[in-house]
Amino acid sequence: MNESMILIPVLLPIVAALVMLAIKPFRKNRNGLNLYVIGVTTLVTALTVFACFSSERVKVFEIFSGIDIAFKIDDLSRLFAVLTVAMWLSSSIFQKEYLKHEKDEVRYHFFFLCSLSALLGICFSSNLITMYLFYEMMTLMTFPLVIHSLSKESIVAAMKYIFYSMGGAFLALVGVFYLNRFVDSYEFVAGGQLNAAAADSKSLVLFVVFCMIIGFGSKAGMFPLHGWLPVAHPVAPAPASALMSGNVTKMGVLAVIRVIYYVVGVNFLTGTWVQYAFLSIALLTVVMGSMMAYKEQILKKRLAYSSISQVSYVLFGVALMNPIGLLGGLMHVVYHSIVKNTLFMSAGAIIYKTGKTKVKELLGIGKEMPIVMWCYTIASLTLIGIPPTSAFLSKWYLAEGALNSSTGVIRYLGPVLLIVSALLTAGYLFTITVNGFFPGKDYDYKALEKREPNALMTVPLLTLATAALLFGMFPTALMDFLKQITTTLF
Amino acid sequence: MEGNIMLLFLTIWPMIGAILSYVIGRKNKNLRDYFAEFVTIVEFVTLLVLCVQVVGGKEAEFVLHDFCARGLYLKADGFRAVYALIAGFMWMMTTLFSKQYFAHYRNRNRYYLFMLLTLGATVGVFLSADLFTTFIFFEMMSFTSYVWVAHDEEKASLRAAETYLAVAVIGGMIMLIGLFLLNFKAGTLNMDQLLAACAAVEDKTLIYVAGGCLLFGFGAKAGMFPLHIWLPKAHPVAPAPASALLSGILTKTGVFGILVISCQMFLHDAAWGKLILMLGVVTMFGGAVLALFSIDLKRTLACSSMSQIGFILVGVGMQGILGEHNALAARGTVLHMVNHSLIKLVLFMAAGVVFMNLHKLDLNAIRGFGRKKKALMFSFLMGTLGIGGIPLWNGYVSKTLLHESIVEYAEMIEGTADASTYVAVEWIFLITGGLTVAYMLKLFICLFIEKNADQAKMEASDKNYMNRKSMFALVTSSIVLPILGFLPGMTMDKIADATSEFMHAHHPEHAVHYFNFTNLKGGLISIAIGVIIYFGFVRTALMRKDETGTKVYVNIWPKWFDLENGIYRPLIQHLIPFVLAVICRVFDKLFDCIVYLIAKFILGPVKTRKQITVGTRFTYVLGTIMDDIVKFLNKTITKKRPIKRSFVEYFAVGQTEVSRTSKLVTRSVSFGLLMFCVGLLMTLVYLLMVSV
Repeated sequence: MNESMILIPVLLPIVAALVMLAIKPFRKNRNGLNLYVIGVTTLVTALTVFACFSSERVKVFEIFSGIDIAFKIDDLSRLFAVLTVAMWLSSSIFQKEYLKHEKDEVRYHFFFLCSLSALLGICFSSNLITMYLFYEMMTLMTFPLVIHSLSKESIVAAMKYIFYSMGGAFLALVGVFYLNRFVDSYEFVAGGQLNAAAADSKSLVLFVVFCMIIGFGSKAGMFPLHGWLPVAHPVAPAPASALMSGNVTKMGVLAVIRVIYYVVGVNFLTGTWVQYAFLSIALLTVVMGSMMAYKEQILKKRLAYSSISQVSYVLFGVALMNPIGLLGGLMHVVYHSIVKNTLFMSAGAIIYKTGKTKVKELLGIGKEMPIVMWCYTIASLTLIGIPPTSAFLSKWYLAEGALNSSTGVIRYLGPVLLIVSALLTAGYLFTITVNGFFPGKDYDYKALEKREPNALMTVPLLTLATAALLFGMFPTALMDFLKQITTTLF
Repeated sequence: MEGNIMLLFLTIWPMIGAILSYVIGRKNKNLRDYFAEFVTIVEFVTLLVLCVQVVGGKEAEFVLHDFCARGLYLKADGFRAVYALIAGFMWMMTTLFSKQYFAHYRNRNRYYLFMLLTLGATVGVFLSADLFTTFIFFEMMSFTSYVWVAHDEEKASLRAAETYLAVAVIGGMIMLIGLFLLNFKAGTLNMDQLLAACAAVEDKTLIYVAGGCLLFGFGAKAGMFPLHIWLPKAHPVAPAPASALLSGILTKTGVFGILVISCQMFLHDAAWGKLILMLGVVTMFGGAVLALFSIDLKRTLACSSMSQIGFILVGVGMQGILGEHNALAARGTVLHMVNHSLIKLVLFMAAGVVFMNLHKLDLNAIRGFGRKKKALMFSFLMGTLGIGGIPLWNGYVSKTLLHESIVEYAEMIEGTADASTYVAVEWIFLITGGLTVAYMLKLFICLFIEKNADQAKMEASDKNYMNRKSMFALVTSSIVLPILGFLPGMTMDKIADATSEFMHAHHPEHAVHYFNFTNLKGGLISIAIGVIIYFGFVRTALMRKDETGTKVYVNIWPKWFDLENGIYRPLIQHLIPFVLAVICRVFDKLFDCIVYLIAKFILGPVKTRKQITVGTRFTYVLGTIMDDIVKFLNKTITKKRPIKRSFVEYFAVGQTEVSRTSKLVTRSVSFGLLMFCVGLLMTLVYLLMVSV
């Protein structure tokens, strides 16, 4: 296989996006435009899967001595890349219908494709610098998706998004600069590659790593830089918020994993104050996100807070720094991605068909759109962690990882807080199902109007909901793959 | 996948059937009803075959590796097979009964879907051989049965369903913590290995914590005090066939779990036994008192369920306390479970017959309904006699065993300080038995002996109050009760023999003679107490004369005395979320606030200064200060003759004058000369100082 195969999935979306801008007829024909985007995404999906078989390091050029722009695919890349393209594909199908009621489709599609490229770039990067570049690119490319409607709120939200993302990224960049002295190279190597100098100035390195965790954690919606999520998600078009919540946040997770496990190394961090601080912050975010979601009345905002909480489940697993915890975390990456996409798409379908955004308005929605609400319900059950759905398993392993770690009081507090958050999750997600399907005796069945969206919306929803269920019942293949990752790291 | 595939079939078949029945139901409602009946009958027959095999000594196991990562372990030993069979029987009977009951309901398709899904899950719970498997099916069951409670969609049923769901979710999650801890400490969740694994753990603290968490989860489902709150609310509002299942079999899944904890994790552990006994006694007595006060047919039956679960828990507790000699307690526990399931099936279906004719459950509105309805009266009578513990009916046998186990222990420790406690437990047991008789008498007399003010209406439906299929379900279920009671040696002892291995109970040293005098005495005391309570308390204190002079049932239970509305709801719905939300909101907005403050004070846009119209900045500031002072003075001291001068202008004028004069001075030649002289002088002084 040609080694430059890796580059194609990264570059193709941008090229395709530029072609789309260049060809005039596209701007007129929305059907063709959408089909083109679906086609490109499908092609990229196929190429990504194909590229995942290679594990060559591909150097594009050298910035200066020792620092390359280079790509390499390892198991972690495969996980995140396949997840990304799968969600992009389902979203591209879903949005063909949804975007009917949005303006400026060409611009939306342009950045939709460009951000795909950025995300794949992050997944495939072979060193910290490359990853950082694509990371910034991702921020810039997703910014237009947030600001899409150009309303006052969306502009404010997009500014806030940029502020938090850039702030976080700069905090991480400081870390990149400082680390230069202490690492052999910026290359990702399992187990990290700190040199002898690091041991001498341990406290400095620890502080720097902490900065990087907080910085990259901002994309993952981790306290204290989580403020952009509940503002940016509700204003973006639903397919975009699905991707933002399902995949863009995961890139923050990926970056944190890369820093902890591939640059600094677990041995250096285990048992230090950084680990405890990271664990505490993750747990705080888990509970805080759920609680805020519980109190939130706007559906998409509620889901955004829920993302804050759920992505921190993953970070909690990452912070445990033991194989079982990390396994649980990585499983939750997959499951949360699937589930959040389902939930946001359901919310999108509801908004598209009824225009309702508030939770209180959704009385009897299950009678109007049964398929959508069934998917929503399955996804909610998953997120709460009701067996045999998938996210139950990730929570099981997270708790097992916590109990088996030696992290003092967090060892027992962790599982308890995860359960508290699960209870709150039930509180904020399941009430919608209940009100949707049990509108009460007074509900006027005569006025009932079927509002089920067409197959373009329901098929992606059904696929994802089924996946959420099946991955829980038969997780062996996925878990074997993830165990392969964790064994290389410990 | 290995082992007997029949076990998997038993759990999967109803679920497949559920989906098929839903699909069929969208096209043809009648066909759907028949199909659902077919599904439950197939399930029952399969279970019967399995049970016969197992009792014949052929235990079955099934493993589906890697299902949900940890695998699905099913097993059919005596206890599991018997209980699954009872579940199958109850489902079959209620499904047969459902067709007529639901004839005028909305959303029937939904009901059948979830009814069958729950069947699969419930059978799964009873057949599970691993707590992880139990948990999977248990949670499924909790969520699918939620739909039953909410089915009517009345305000009351939605509220009850909310309670049910909250209890189920909270119970389930706390149970999950228990499983985490148990798995962590014991290293296994397989029920057969738990006994050895728990015994091997040295520091048992965490095992006890895990046991407590599991007890919370299972106890919530069983209706154990103080988690019983859902029971009296959910049963009355659910459709009758569903109430029968909720009360008869779903509560038993909780008991099954408690049995697993007590007999696998804490076998013969006296401390654990005492805890369960204590909870059991409170549940038993409290339920009976609630039932006595209730004036709603189904609510009475629901509270009675709670009370009977208390009886069962007493048995479970006594098993732990008695240790090696717990054969009586173990047999009593199992038999009372079986009896209660079968009795409640009959009673709730009978209540269903009342409801589907009158659409009312209030005792005053339904009294006299059954006066000339023989089949209904027969069934209800069988249930009443069974649950009241009347000799020759089934409830008597199990209650006698439980009673004997307490007496046995009280005799064993006679003379010690504890002995009096167990004598007290024995008396509470007997009194609760009496209360059972009293509230069942109340229901029976109300329904079948007293006359209604509008008796004609009650008798209008005497000919066609239920169709043949419903009657078949009701009467067949009720015939089972006396059969068991008349021939305990041939029927119930066999059940006990088959099931007691599950609880690690030995065979009793001697056969129990249920009908000798010592054993009859306990039953007779209870009956006597019951009759006294009925005539002495129910007919005097719980009935009043209304305006027309007829005696009516009144509810004298104080409204505020309700655990759910008094404590749980305020706590869980308002207090805890409020406190947590305040804390979380602080953290949520923390960084935003910091950014806002920074933007406001440090990095904010530069303030444009106010244009000064007259004078310099110095005079302006001084003038403003003076003006402010003047303003203050005008308000206070010089109120009568206010100072009207503006100091800003005054200083400005002064300043221009000074600057003009100084300009004139400094530009003159004389000023130059003056400066020159000053310079010369200073040079002179310097020279002098240096030279000196």
